[in-house]
Amino acid sequence: METTEIKEGKDITVERTGEEERKLLFKDPLCAVCGLCETICPVSAIEVCPTGAMIRTEQDTSKIEIDENKCVLCGMCSGICPFQALDLQIDGESIKTMVEYPQIIKSADIDELECIQCKACETACPQDAITITRELPKRADLITGEIEIDKDTCIYCGMCEEMCPVDAIDIAHQIPSSDSPVVATDIEVNEDTCVHCGICKRICPVDAIRQVCRICPYGEYEIEVPEVTGTSYIDPELCVNCTWCQEICPVDAAHVTKPFEGELTIDQDTCQACETCVMVCPCNVLSFPKSEKAGSKPEKLHKDERFCIYCGACEKSCPVDAIDVKRTKINYSPTKSKAWVKAFESLKN
Amino acid sequence: MAIGLKAYRDLCHGCGNCVTACPVNSLRSDDVAGGKGPSELLDLIMIVEDGAVQLKNVDLCGKCGTCVESCPVEAIRLEEV
Repeated sequence: METTEIKEGKDITVERTGEEERKLLFKDPLCAVCGLCETICPVSAIEVCPTGAMIRTEQDTSKIEIDENKCVLCGMCSGICPFQALDLQIDGESIKTMVEYPQIIKSADIDELECIQCKACETACPQDAITITRELPKRADLITGEIEIDKDTCIYCGMCEEMCPVDAIDIAHQIPSSDSPVVATDIEVNEDTCVHCGICKRICPVDAIRQVCRICPYGEYEIEVPEVTGTSYIDPELCVNCTWCQEICPVDAAHVTKPFEGELTIDQDTCQACETCVMVCPCNVLSFPKSEKAGSKPEKLHKDERFCIYCGACEKSCPVDAIDVKRTKINYSPTKSKAWVKAFESLKN
Repeated sequence: MAIGLKAYRDLCHGCGNCVTACPVNSLRSDDVAGGKGPSELLDLIMIVEDGAVQLKNVDLCGKCGTCVESCPVEAIRLEEV
């Protein structure tokens, strides 16, 4: 048996061949430098680089280092990583799909039946993990009316064409000639585009336009509003289960289970507002509040724990120890392995 | 291999941004936090000495990168040491 380490860019693979092939894969772009892998590793094979330095400044090296001479490929780092950055594979299969291994319980789903494709979650997601697609109906399908232009009355001044908000009016302008001594030869209304707003009728200086919107007189019954259809997708690799989608959704379509429970405490007196934690937090928990008016002094650093997964990256990054992350519960599936239970429980503090 | 603070005195303009931006420094003195710089002898991570940045107490550094972001000429860096 021989353990080898392969580096591809900043990604790392630690491999051991033998009766079974074990491979530990580290994907650098997914790592939030929280340090949980270093804490859980039973043989101190992992060293996590300084969080602030890795997130805020450009570095040529990987965010973590794995000592292949110490690594026993047990998979505990893979089991705990809340960011899908570490994965242990045995004979090509991830231990995250094996019932023999305990799993951190976390999930994020959008209920397609409830989702109204408003895209609030897509906008709020701190990891850009959500994609919402939507198919909107044609404007013409939402309106009904009639429009007619009396070409004999029309003087082709072009005011309606210029003011139409949806460019539904088209005039065939021309420079008059002795052969055709008129400023335009024709005027057309595109009835598919027209929204029957009535602006053309009101601006027309010669009352050449007859336009009726049927929505008001006949009420809503005339029109069957087509449904907005669409799809939602959460990228399981990018999702950090922060609950932003769940909290911002206006129709309760998103449901998230966080991997850990705990408490986040900020010492406002010690905090120097250096912004390291704000930049480091993968869940957008932290922000600098805006002053409401001149002279008012808001708190230095604002937190909203609804979004916190208690990974500890902020605490690790703070250069003045102003942040304390307490983990009170690790959500994992039941296991008979005492070693794994001990390892998971050791992350509570 | 480890990442640590490095100063490049030959690049430094001596502006003192890093000295006052550093959260560890600013916690130690309101003068430093206020932008004036140290008025008494303090254990600071870096100071401006003879017109250029001089590292003093690197062991206090939390490697947060605030000084690196504040430097206009890349004279202070976090890199492999």
